Amino acid sequence: MADEELTERLRQLIAENEVLLLMKGTPTEPRCGFSLRTVQILDRMGIEYGAIDVLPALQPLREVTTEISDWETFPQLYVKGELVGGCDIVEEMFASGELAETLGVEQPEMPDTPESPADLPAQSPPLDIERN
Amino acid sequence: MAADLDEIKAMIERTLPGSEVVVLDETGTGDHLRAVVRAPQFEGIGRLQQHRLVKAAVRDRFEDGTIHALSVTTLRPDDPA
Repeated sequence: MADEELTERLRQLIAENEVLLLMKGTPTEPRCGFSLRTVQILDRMGIEYGAIDVLPALQPLREVTTEISDWETFPQLYVKGELVGGCDIVEEMFASGELAETLGVEQPEMPDTPESPADLPAQSPPLDIERN
Repeated sequence: MAADLDEIKAMIERTLPGSEVVVLDETGTGDHLRAVVRAPQFEGIGRLQQHRLVKAAVRDRFEDGTIHALSVTTLRPDDPA
């Protein structure tokens, strides 16, 4: 059974923040690769969003989100009070343009790929491996 | 303890009869997996619900700590691969 006070606080934060990310770490210092990837996408969208670091209360928050959204892994992106999904879903929706639509913004332009050689870091020369 | 990829695949197939499932070890450490699941049960339901079904199928392996992360890609029967 999830903590009632925490549940109420989280519900309130979800209601107050049009875009809210529950993540491991902070947007400037993500502590998990999936949270990092989600932050990078939100930053590309050029929107403001609220972020909550779940690590200080990981297990209690897991119980709360399981109860209110039937979702227990982080990150979790909420838009206009609704759970959109975790990293996989956010990435899929970013690629398809649905995320921009959900957020009500223009789809950012994709960088040209492949990058021009001048932008690439210097490559190390092929390694010679000698057996001693 | 590394996950048994065949067991994970079987758990998903048991929950979603008729599905095609591929389970990959994304990091070589056996605890960060990716499941690509094509299932008839995904017809008519949204992505969130599709992911919930897959995660629920392997919940036991999360709870016993075998799996730390499972990335999920869901496809409906008619979706292109």
